[in-house]
Amino acid sequence: MAEDIILSVHDLDVKFTLRGQILHAIRGISLDVYRGESLAIVGESGSGKSVFTKTFMGLLDANGSITGGSIRYQDKELTQFKSDKDWRTIRGREIAMVMQDPMTSLNPLKTIGAQIEEAVVLHQGLKGQQAKEAVLRVLEEVGIDDPKRRYNQYPHEFSGGMRQRVVIAIAVACRPKILICDEPTTALDVTIQAQILQLIRELQKKYDLTTIYITHDLGVVANVADRIAVMYAGDIVEIGQCEEVFYDPRHPYTWALLSSLPQLGVKGEPLYSIAGTPPNLFQEVKGDAFAPRNPQALKIDFVERPPYFDVTPTHRARTWLLDPRAPKVEPPEHIRHLREQGVKGHV
Amino acid sequence: MSERKKLLEVKNLEVTFGSRRHPFRAVKGVSFDIYEGETFGLVGESGSGKTTIGRSIIRINPASGGEILYRGERISGHISSALDRQITRQIQMIFQDPMASLNERAKVDYIVSEGLYGRHLKESERQEKVAKALSDVGLLPEFASRFPHEFSGGQRQRIGIARALIMDPDFIIADEPISALDVSIRAQVLNLMSQLQKERGLTYLFIAHDLSVVRFICDRIAVIHKGELVELAESEQLFANPLHPYTQALLSAIPMPDPIAEKQKKLLVYDPSMHHYESDPPSWVEVEPGHFLLANREELEKIGNQR
Amino acid sequence: MPSLRYKDRKTEDLSQSVSNTLSRDYQPEEYFELAPYDPSAGERGTYTNYSYWGSTIRAFFHNPVAVFFLVLLVGMVGFTIIEPLLPYAPEANTIYKGDINLAPCAQYWFGTNSIGQDLWSQIWSGTRTSLFIGFSVAMVEVVLGVVVGVLWGYVRKLDFLLTELYNVFDNVPQTLVVIIISYILRPGVSTMIFAMCLTSWLATARFVRNQVVIIRDRDYNLASRCLGTPAWRIMVKNLLPYLVSILTLRMALAIPAAIGNEVFITYIGLGVPLEVPTLGNLINSGQTFINEPTLNYQLFLPVLILSIVTISFYVVGNSFADAADPKNHVN
Repeated sequence: MAEDIILSVHDLDVKFTLRGQILHAIRGISLDVYRGESLAIVGESGSGKSVFTKTFMGLLDANGSITGGSIRYQDKELTQFKSDKDWRTIRGREIAMVMQDPMTSLNPLKTIGAQIEEAVVLHQGLKGQQAKEAVLRVLEEVGIDDPKRRYNQYPHEFSGGMRQRVVIAIAVACRPKILICDEPTTALDVTIQAQILQLIRELQKKYDLTTIYITHDLGVVANVADRIAVMYAGDIVEIGQCEEVFYDPRHPYTWALLSSLPQLGVKGEPLYSIAGTPPNLFQEVKGDAFAPRNPQALKIDFVERPPYFDVTPTHRARTWLLDPRAPKVEPPEHIRHLREQGVKGHV
Repeated sequence: MSERKKLLEVKNLEVTFGSRRHPFRAVKGVSFDIYEGETFGLVGESGSGKTTIGRSIIRINPASGGEILYRGERISGHISSALDRQITRQIQMIFQDPMASLNERAKVDYIVSEGLYGRHLKESERQEKVAKALSDVGLLPEFASRFPHEFSGGQRQRIGIARALIMDPDFIIADEPISALDVSIRAQVLNLMSQLQKERGLTYLFIAHDLSVVRFICDRIAVIHKGELVELAESEQLFANPLHPYTQALLSAIPMPDPIAEKQKKLLVYDPSMHHYESDPPSWVEVEPGHFLLANREELEKIGNQR
Repeated sequence: MPSLRYKDRKTEDLSQSVSNTLSRDYQPEEYFELAPYDPSAGERGTYTNYSYWGSTIRAFFHNPVAVFFLVLLVGMVGFTIIEPLLPYAPEANTIYKGDINLAPCAQYWFGTNSIGQDLWSQIWSGTRTSLFIGFSVAMVEVVLGVVVGVLWGYVRKLDFLLTELYNVFDNVPQTLVVIIISYILRPGVSTMIFAMCLTSWLATARFVRNQVVIIRDRDYNLASRCLGTPAWRIMVKNLLPYLVSILTLRMALAIPAAIGNEVFITYIGLGVPLEVPTLGNLINSGQTFINEPTLNYQLFLPVLILSIVTISFYVVGNSFADAADPKNHVN
């Protein structure tokens, strides 16, 4: 695992002004992204996962701003970027994004070919026939049959899955170093979803991309992620290798996320569920943000924010349960057999 | 099996949209029965016609062919207004998107008790019912005086359930009730639905695109593809022995929260052109008790040989 | 049976309970014990203190230009109402013999016209009449337009019939209708209002119909149908509230449009008789002096008032519609 760091976020703080109130969306996140890895950021809506990745591209809404910390991409400090001109050196050509709804990123009035060609011309410096050939190659690469015919078609002539392939084609044609996929498959059908994830994985290998997946569903990332970061209330509460997070989760919120998956449910018995809803980030969170919903919360969770405790050199979690003084609390039964599976798998 | 009572019978249902010149057949001759007290899953991708079937049962989309019977009585086509009132009470619906299915400009109080207005209740009675319905779905009765936008997705979905429950229905059509919700909230809503089923003996038609959820909650599952049912069986039977290639593709695509298993899994892709249906058209056959399949003679022979 | 709490507690109460569950006081020695767990605590956490109309009004008053024009408009409308009640306010049509075509001065603030009437009184009386015409027409237009438009959009059986009728009547020019009506009936303010109302609501009805078609199949309306809610209640409770903001804009624009219409029709000589001052009549009689620098105030002053009224309604209406759009309730 001797990888070099491509993107390094340190103690990032993001705040929004909404209706005269301050929303503390990102509360001091530190995260290193390694070159060539695929990282999944998992969290519920409102956990700040999308906001977090938007800061890498300067795409925060006008009422939001970075109020502290740093984001280093290679040798550039992204928090110092002011103008759109600065950001244009990053957006697309260094860090590209695939959104949930492909229709929002495609121009309905232009042919698919023309839209990809734009990226090819701009980022690969090709012209004329060469550019067109490159586009056809890209279309084939993302698994679109009969690229010659498809080249002249408009987005509405494509199905949802095909459109998402086109969006991916555009993103990849810019030859970025990092590809951020924001819920790339949520709007798609199950069978298509699996195919798209497979496609992204293939492209990642081929172009040595670093990919960051954002999703709300832990169930879908087991296949694609090398590392998983679990976000809750504007903070990463647990991060580790994919196997570590699935087979040996340590934060009660990760437990809850995993064990509430219907895939792991036992028929006729209630699913494990978390009561309540995530905290309102208009109010300053004291202690562990998950504590009020956590049946196994310690008293200190209401008083002091837990630090990270290292489980292994690659796996850490922000919970007081890992403190040596804490009582031993077992994860819910539903997910214990997952761990056994993991043990089996490692043997 | 025979002593179970049929609550709903869908016979050869056809639903066509569009103009006479450009008809679009969303549902093509679908038949199934739903028994009292069970949860029946209808699984398919977007555009497969699964939502349309649900909506034609509740009479939003009229059936253009076939018929729907509820407790033996025909409820499709023209029906008397007395029967219409009766089935409005007995059949209710839970919608997919909790953000879109609540009237933003009305208070929770009105939304939840909307179905009661035709019954001319006393104001105090109505308020009591609202409070009861809200607490039945785990919400605080004091929420009644608020507007929907003050609530989170899971809470809104529960308001939607309370609105259906207040009618005291026997049969609930749940159209993707959890797919717009966050994972941690899904469990709340699924548990609530199971709990209500136990307490009240409800029958559900659970429409979804996600087989993993359906497996967990449904007794029997029907798989629909492009307006046609391709397979119908008891859940465990369907998962253990999927016969139709489309069902197999769907099953292979279920994401598992298990990295090792996931990385070994093989994805199946369904190609409708594999069937040779032009020369040998398919029919809806019961291949083993309670296990129905859309297949042609050639495919049935192959299945028979494997046994 | 324990009585269920129905009425909402005060907001402060709620946020109190939220902060209670979030910051409990514990002693360091008990820090690593399990804390008591209250599943319902998380339920309250999402409460935000947001009200639609509150935010709309706040957003509106955030816009200084809009507030300026609102004040101007309210001042102007208010003044037209109280003006005749002021002491020494002469009757608008009083003729001061000899004081013909006087430029604005201390006695006649806006000067006098070619037959010796005080332009100040004339203009305010005219503005009053014009605003009255504008308000009346806009009211009828919106009420009739909404009623017909909602029925047209929601009741599918009416759609074909009404669309065909609309296509027929929409092709008759409004001016023509107004001209014919003015010929048939005695010219006057009420004839004018009647003639304009006859056609103006068509466009509003069409507009409302299109809006209703956009929202009628949203899930919440389907939900209402599943609950057996009768169509009329769906229209009143589900559709109309969503149209309020665009209707206010429509109304705000309909008023200056009606005034403008009145000016035009009067200008071509078919409107209100000369002895009733309206902005149209004033502009009509003022326009003869357009090329006489000493007298063209008789044209410019009513035009100025007309412009202020039109611009104010336009700006206020637009700003209000923006403010009423929940998407703009960010700040």
